[in-house]
Amino acid sequence: MPDAIKRAARVSFAFVLMNVSAVAGLLRLLRRREVWK
Amino acid sequence: MGSVMEIVFWVALGLVLYVYVGYPVLLAVWARLRPRPHHVDPQSLPGVSIVLAARNEGRRLPGRIDNLLSLDYPADRLEIIVVSNGSTDRTAQALAPYLGASGRRPRVRLIELDEAGKAIALNAGVAAARHDVVVFADARQRFASDAVRQLVRNLADPSVGAVSGELVLDCELGVASSTIGDSVGTYWRYEKFIRKLESRIDSTSGATGAVYAMRRTLWRELPAGTLLDDVLAPMRVVLAGSRVVFDETARAFDVTPPDAATEAQRKARTLAGNYQLAVLEPRLLLPFVNRVWLQFWSHKLGRLLVPYALIAVFVSSAVLAPGRPFYIAATLGQVLFYALALYGGRLEQTESASALAAEQQRSEQTARRRAVNA
Repeated sequence: MPDAIKRAARVSFAFVLMNVSAVAGLLRLLRRREVWK
Repeated sequence: MGSVMEIVFWVALGLVLYVYVGYPVLLAVWARLRPRPHHVDPQSLPGVSIVLAARNEGRRLPGRIDNLLSLDYPADRLEIIVVSNGSTDRTAQALAPYLGASGRRPRVRLIELDEAGKAIALNAGVAAARHDVVVFADARQRFASDAVRQLVRNLADPSVGAVSGELVLDCELGVASSTIGDSVGTYWRYEKFIRKLESRIDSTSGATGAVYAMRRTLWRELPAGTLLDDVLAPMRVVLAGSRVVFDETARAFDVTPPDAATEAQRKARTLAGNYQLAVLEPRLLLPFVNRVWLQFWSHKLGRLLVPYALIAVFVSSAVLAPGRPFYIAATLGQVLFYALALYGGRLEQTESASALAAEQQRSEQTARRRAVNA
């Protein structure tokens, strides 16, 4: 696979990860779980 | 039904595009048309108290204190306050050789607290500070030797209440041993670009916790359990009428999170902290109270809405797709994007596993060599 596609794949993954983390962060806050370790 | 879905699609897509593209473009135009430069005085050398909150950092602290003691700043105008927040390791013993003032080096002090959280530790550190300017630091990072000088020169302008420095990750310097260096580096450069533009207009929406300075008089005690002390404290400076500027020449250096799981944990904390800010300081949401409310909404809160907007874009385009080429293309485009992200996740997973295997192999070789030598 060309490097440009690998790089785009990694950046896309990071973007999705960030958005999943936003939802996870809210859920943890609502459940009052420790989120700042 | 169709027209409702179309509205959902365009509003949600508009939000995602505004937060990640429209807002930076708006800032760039704004900064060009209405910049607010501030006065900088490189000769300004006020007294500075460096406050470093640490928990079980006994292993890292000696190196970090050495780094702070080697700063290019007059020793008699600098003090270092380490607040140990419920440490159960050998933090106090590790710091013992540094405590007190010795000859021409700055005074180092240690405050030991029971476990109370970082926010309370910072409150204690600032309360103990003797100088007018407080610089915040963490245990893991390292300052460039001129970092404090570069920060405080901005405070020569009375309208500036706080200054954020620039955190440089090793992945930006091409030396990271991380499987997500590419993506974290790209995101971080984008984030710093936005902060720079926000600073040119008025103030950044927060600071970099690892390297920022503030006038001590503008500090307000943080509530216990504050997740984003480095956003809440600077935003309170803005609410008090002062500016928070970004100076990219005041540099601290850090390592990139080693893998996606660590980065996800960090992001979850940061983004949860943005929700918490709205509860702890609701004035930030109000246009007539917070003069940078548009920046705060666009930069901090907009990102919290993006995940739900992405779901709305996907569902609405899929519903609208039958028989409509534009929405078919939009749906396929998103499928392609998420497939690419999955591939990126797979790459990360493979590289993480290889990195772990290599690390294990190194440890085994070291253990074998020690056994042979013994």
